[in-house]
Amino acid sequence: MRGDVREVLTHWLGADVHAVEELSDEALEELRAVLVSAKERQAASLRAASDEALRQMPPVLRGTVSKILGR
Amino acid sequence: MGEDLATRAELVKLARALGASADEVAFAAALPHTAIRRLRERAVGVLYDEHRSAFRRVAAITRLLPTAVNVRITLRAFPPLLAARVAGEMPPERAAELANRMPVDYLAEACLHLDPRRATALVQLVRPDSVLAIVRALVDRGEFITLGRLLDSATASLVRDVAATVPTDALLRIGFYAESDEQLTHAVALLPPARMRAIVRDALSGPPELRAAGLRLVGRLTDDELRGRLAEYATESTDETLISILQTAIDTGAVRELLVAVAAMGEPAQRRVLALSALAEPRTLGHLVRGVERHNLWLRMAPTITLMDPDLRRRFAEAANLG
Repeated sequence: MRGDVREVLTHWLGADVHAVEELSDEALEELRAVLVSAKERQAASLRAASDEALRQMPPVLRGTVSKILGR
Repeated sequence: MGEDLATRAELVKLARALGASADEVAFAAALPHTAIRRLRERAVGVLYDEHRSAFRRVAAITRLLPTAVNVRITLRAFPPLLAARVAGEMPPERAAELANRMPVDYLAEACLHLDPRRATALVQLVRPDSVLAIVRALVDRGEFITLGRLLDSATASLVRDVAATVPTDALLRIGFYAESDEQLTHAVALLPPARMRAIVRDALSGPPELRAAGLRLVGRLTDDELRGRLAEYATESTDETLISILQTAIDTGAVRELLVAVAAMGEPAQRRVLALSALAEPRTLGHLVRGVERHNLWLRMAPTITLMDPDLRRRFAEAANLG
């Protein structure tokens, strides 16, 4: 397993990284890519949902809620 | 032949968990289904933990406001995705108190985004009539993966209510994605006999995915007596129907499921199966023999083999020797 791929997979899978070691290098790269995409997709969905929430908030609360959501 | 049914179910669940397409996770078919599941569970953990601190802060604010105000703000401003993530960071009693005042459609959508690790405590505290309505809404939307996951959180009384009211083909589809064999077995055991027969009928006469779901269900049960009862209901069907399910088992890699179902039947039902004309075909017999060998079922199948007529037993032995 390539070092950069192992680093990403270890972050995601912890000790269970050994469970995927039998995959080919090509499959491991696909796994890395799909996990990274999942994180990006989730961040985009949550960003869109937070934007929608802020739009619906009374203006006086927007700043505070925005800070709480880490925006 | 492609992957077995357990692998197929896990690939679908992995794709759903990652928001990916079936093609994007197809590489994982090379892994055992247990490894795909572990991969999914780990990935879900990372994804849900990613933004927890922000949701925890929102959850903390809700403690300062009266329930009615929280509900009003949530329904007005929070899409169900956000509400589900915040609910996951609240004490379950508080989250249930809010959920009990929210409309079913909103809660059904939120269910899709609920952290699976926190769902059980919450689901068990929400009013049973609300949970049942949410289940029905999810069935109407075809959200069988989510429902399969929620089965682990269901109380016996909820399972009874769902079993009595949800269409039996939907129950089969939910069972296909259930996480726990034990919980699935408890759920099936709670079905009234008429519903069990209806499930078997649907599994035998439905489209390929329902036939596969039926085979997976009968193969996953942890109670052999229950498995035998379902399998015997199946033998009340025509030869044509039984041969069709035999073919589905071969096509979908579910020969193990078929064999353990036959082994769990009583003698008259086994004799009925052994008389099927399809067993005269060497190719079919070869698949069955290879299934017995691959899954180490010789001991389990021995009583069935003794019921074979001498000609079938000879051909079965020949197929085994040809290996």
